[in-house]
Amino acid sequence: MSEQAFIRDLREIVGGSNVLASSVDLQLYQYDGYLEEHRPEAVVFVQSTEEVAKVVQCCNRHGRPFVPRGGGTNLTGGTIPFGGGAVIEMIRMNRLLEIDIPNLRARVQPGMFNLELGNALAPLGYQFIPDPASQKAATLGGNVAENAGGPHCFKYGVTSNHVLGLTVVLPDGRVEKLGGKAADIPGFDLTGLFVGSEGTLGICTEVLVKVVRQTESVKTLLAIYDSIEEGSETVSAIVAAGMVPATLEMMDQLVIHAVEASLHCGLPMDCATLLLIEVDGLRDDLESQAAAISDLCRAHGAREVRVAKDDAERALLWAGRRGAFGAVARLAPSFLVCDGTVPRTALPQVLKKVSQVAAKYDLRIPNVFHAGDGNLHPLILFDWRDADMKARVLKAGMEILSLCAELGGTISGEHGVGLEKLDAMRLVMSEADIQAQRRVKTTFDPANLANPGKIFPAKEVACER
Amino acid sequence: MNAELRSRLESIVGPGLVYGPGEPVDGVRPTLAVRPGTQDEVSAVVRACAEAGAAMIPLGGGTSLGLGNPPARADVLVHLDRLDRVVEWDPANLCISAEAGMRLEALQALVAKDRTVLPLDPPGLRRVTLGGMVAANPSGPCRLQYGTVRDWVLGMRVVLPDGERIHCGGRVIKNVSGYDMNKLFIRSLGCLGIITEVTFKLLPMPARRAAVIGRFPDAATAWAVVGRTLASFLLPEALEFLNVEAAQLLGGPPGTCVLAVSLSGSSETVDRQVRDFTGFFQDGGGTADVLQEAAASRAWEGIRDLLEGAYDPILCRIAVPLSATPALVAAAEGMAREAGLKAVVTAHAATGVLRVLLAPGADPHPGEALMVLEGLRREAEAAEGSLVLEAAPRSLKARFDAWGTPPGGVDMMKRLKTEFDPLGICNPGRFVAGI
Repeated sequence: MSEQAFIRDLREIVGGSNVLASSVDLQLYQYDGYLEEHRPEAVVFVQSTEEVAKVVQCCNRHGRPFVPRGGGTNLTGGTIPFGGGAVIEMIRMNRLLEIDIPNLRARVQPGMFNLELGNALAPLGYQFIPDPASQKAATLGGNVAENAGGPHCFKYGVTSNHVLGLTVVLPDGRVEKLGGKAADIPGFDLTGLFVGSEGTLGICTEVLVKVVRQTESVKTLLAIYDSIEEGSETVSAIVAAGMVPATLEMMDQLVIHAVEASLHCGLPMDCATLLLIEVDGLRDDLESQAAAISDLCRAHGAREVRVAKDDAERALLWAGRRGAFGAVARLAPSFLVCDGTVPRTALPQVLKKVSQVAAKYDLRIPNVFHAGDGNLHPLILFDWRDADMKARVLKAGMEILSLCAELGGTISGEHGVGLEKLDAMRLVMSEADIQAQRRVKTTFDPANLANPGKIFPAKEVACER
Repeated sequence: MNAELRSRLESIVGPGLVYGPGEPVDGVRPTLAVRPGTQDEVSAVVRACAEAGAAMIPLGGGTSLGLGNPPARADVLVHLDRLDRVVEWDPANLCISAEAGMRLEALQALVAKDRTVLPLDPPGLRRVTLGGMVAANPSGPCRLQYGTVRDWVLGMRVVLPDGERIHCGGRVIKNVSGYDMNKLFIRSLGCLGIITEVTFKLLPMPARRAAVIGRFPDAATAWAVVGRTLASFLLPEALEFLNVEAAQLLGGPPGTCVLAVSLSGSSETVDRQVRDFTGFFQDGGGTADVLQEAAASRAWEGIRDLLEGAYDPILCRIAVPLSATPALVAAAEGMAREAGLKAVVTAHAATGVLRVLLAPGADPHPGEALMVLEGLRREAEAAEGSLVLEAAPRSLKARFDAWGTPPGGVDMMKRLKTEFDPLGICNPGRFVAGI
């Protein structure tokens, strides 16, 4: 069937104005936060589970691939329509369906922004824990697809730990409800399998999450260092002392300068690195925890430790951290967000090696990351108009991922594999491991229409089944 | 087939480590039993079974052996008791990898040496093995604060039904390199492969531990205190409700039910919570006994294992949305009473999970027990929950599916089973929907 028939059928399902197919419109959906571009045939704005199901069925009839897209904040190319076909834009499915405090659950549509759910729960005294730095623009469906967490993962677990049920449209267009409000629904944990599957197993159209009571009290500290090693050693020292801060974030001098220039948070400009540490829980021991952490920071070389006096000061410090990726845009026309994880104690080592990689490829690489989780984000700066530089960026990125793998870590902490890391998968997985994942993909999506071209590296001939 | 398979298995593990018949599983007796000693041997054993088309049942500590339906076929019982080694222990990064046959208690004792904990407390903890715990997904009172197995597994090694060895996840908390394959094997009851090694994340050990045990004149007063707790900022590890029958087993004055909290953390937070809970309990019309450290731990063991070790038990686990818990407890008591039975109920009062032991055991009253279970399942499923049989005599299992109405996505579950186990030889028939 021709492209015209495909688009005509899509328009019949969602209405003419909800399908974009002009050249200019399609150009806007051929990229996300990663560096590749592939043009879709159509962009379809959907409003309901039924519409998503019909659109997916239509894609099946026409043999066209489809990729769900929310805020487009994904950084590994996961929402780039590699095989063409339809981009299914979920952003209008953004309603809060239910807040069920007696059962500590909330049910939302996937197009809702992460921060909006937080804002809806806060006045009731409750919260949804996963809070990616991009939470203003990242949708909950995207959080589910990428298992994208944020600063609180260290103490409270990743997104997957907070998602209890999903309504999904499977790649053949069938609708299934997975999991539910009750615990331990019998059967395989398909909800858990679906979270982090990057839109390759289907599209979630409703998300059921765990909400928790807000903590009684919070204390936020800023530790200031003249050397990166001392900062990263402190991270392990805090954990070794038996403390589990709610967050343990780190940023280096390049990032601090960019943040100050954009957001004026009052960060010191002459230090090498900062640790943003937050402890939360019952108010009774927060003073003593903060004091113990301050002492540890000083013992490990911090020249100063500031404690936020009030909510306003605390908000300012967090604005700096959350705005860091945006602020770094001041430093160069483009940057590649590298996302790898190492065991926490390997942080000093890997940071040193990242700076060696920067020197080797003649690149600037600022760092801002979740130190408590060992999840680093070297931001490789470049100019997208410089082809030679872009090639060096990709090599540097791959080298950093290899380092993470060698040190016992992995190639992605929260941004997924997408298009960026297909080849990197082999750094942490055997052919048999990859083959087992492929079997899951094939079971869910035998026609390979759900976000094709993502996650799986090219097959090795020996392992053809 | 048996003689041939037996000699093949013997050639893999050595002659003294294959015997037959194996111990019965829900009355079905496997022809052979084998005790591989390494993960490679497990792989070779599975390969041999696959080639012979022999159905395998993996076995750890046996604490969840009653869970699920009787096996459709059982040729080889694969004991994992010899796989009990620590593979890698990294206290500074709060993680440990150990083989599947290692006992949870041994692992907990080991990590305690470095002042860390794996805060999972399934019933029968002394006998539970790591692989069994991951496959069967039991949970104890502390799931309130710490969640379940799925929240603590970072990685695992699995032997697939064709003998292929794979590795899922890793050793770091944040890991989205491909699918989260751990989730596929957690709570799959060994029907997609045999788990041979598990990597857990750990927590620093809390400085203090205490418990407050309260007795209440009736369930309503106890549940009112649960409501007050949920609305507070307090962070108990566990909040357990025991009905009058269960409280009786624990000792103490008759005719009362129990609400118990477990508290851990810094001295300051434990003291504060002991004070607040004592206040809650007394304001709510109950008593409050405060236990510290070892005494608190002993009391919790008693509560955790209260329903273990009953002879010929009929035991089920019900999970419902949290707010439906009191109604389900009342329903269990009411239905049991009408049937001339007693319901011994313990409930994780703030997570919606309860366990019901019907006494006396089944054989004198098979019809009555069946009626109670059917009624309870109706109530649980009407509340969007489930009732799963954890143990029952075979006569009852023949008339009552262990899992209930198939969950959403069951077609996909069946397709996954067929994809990974096309011969249907991995723990066949015991799981949901005949998987």
